[in-house]
Amino acid sequence: MEAPDAELIRIIARGGGQTSAEAGESRLAEAELCRRFAPRIYLYGRRHLRDDDRARELVQAVLLVVLQAARAGRVAEPEHADRFMLGTCRHLAARLRTIEAREARSAGSDALEVVAESLQSANPWESMRADVGALVLCLGTLDERSRQVVTLTFSDECPTEEIAKRLAMTTGNVRVTRHRAVAALRRCLDVREATRQESRA
Amino acid sequence: MSRCASPIPWATLVDYWAGDLIAAQIDEVDDHLFACGSCASEAARVASVTETMREMLPPAVSRARIESLRAAGTRVRESAFAPGERRQVVFEADVDLLVHRLAGLPLADAQHVSLQIVSESTGQRLVTMDTVPFEREEGAVLIACQRHFASLPADTRFEVAVHAPDRSVTTAAYTIVHQYPP
Repeated sequence: MEAPDAELIRIIARGGGQTSAEAGESRLAEAELCRRFAPRIYLYGRRHLRDDDRARELVQAVLLVVLQAARAGRVAEPEHADRFMLGTCRHLAARLRTIEAREARSAGSDALEVVAESLQSANPWESMRADVGALVLCLGTLDERSRQVVTLTFSDECPTEEIAKRLAMTTGNVRVTRHRAVAALRRCLDVREATRQESRA
Repeated sequence: MSRCASPIPWATLVDYWAGDLIAAQIDEVDDHLFACGSCASEAARVASVTETMREMLPPAVSRARIESLRAAGTRVRESAFAPGERRQVVFEADVDLLVHRLAGLPLADAQHVSLQIVSESTGQRLVTMDTVPFEREEGAVLIACQRHFASLPADTRFEVAVHAPDRSVTTAAYTIVHQYPP
């Protein structure tokens, strides 16, 4: 289904209590909306909550709230569905551990079923997984300075200023080294993945 | 998925995941990622590197790190190896992390320690690290062997070099053959 987000929202709003064809179309629109936005919500969760479990919880909670709002015709500007989604994300991320969010997730509506089914097939977290063994090998291909910069940044959570001080670099140089190192690691993982798939075929 | 007319630069995405943007820039990136599937995919490619690094343990770790993992509930099994030793280890199902204690190293005055991991059968150099953590009082380097290393060659030789302040270097090798029961 290639319909724009706004069209999906409108289909969902029309779906409740109408003909079975409309209900079916609405269900497909809901599944498509989940498939489209689950990876983005998950990314947001990983970046802002810094935790895989909580990011997954956020995906469910946000999609549930959005589907319920869409069904009730409460998405005021369907053409800005992404903004509605992001606003819900920001709100729920801040309140994820509160009773309100838990209640939303255990509301027992069939919207929860749609969300669960869609997440099973879309698997939004898979695109963010890297083979750890391959990543260790790829890290081994970096020069020592680049490896230190990415290790200090992502394993040790050192701020850029501290890395610059420790490695006697400018902060600008740390950033450039990091951009290049992450790109080199991503390329290395792509090559290893392609080789693995070729050897399987 | 349609291509983005003004994609977020790779450098900005790396800064985003590195926590190196100010709040207004983060909001801007969030806005863009929610509106653009193509940039969201690219952000996921960056995150697959940065977030996997955040979660994974480096091959060599400090004693303090192991103790904090133990305290957090990680099931750790530790084995000591002497220089020149060759032994098999089994990654049993009831263990989350195997720690290989590469012992017998003259670390009292060590300035730094470097490590190479080599496949015994092929000679392939798997990992080279110029500086790794070491336990001066234990005279050991601690290797964190994780289950997902099963994708690496099973026969690994750990070559440790201890660098002294007078620039002399002492080396030691330990061969550990890993077995991962299904």
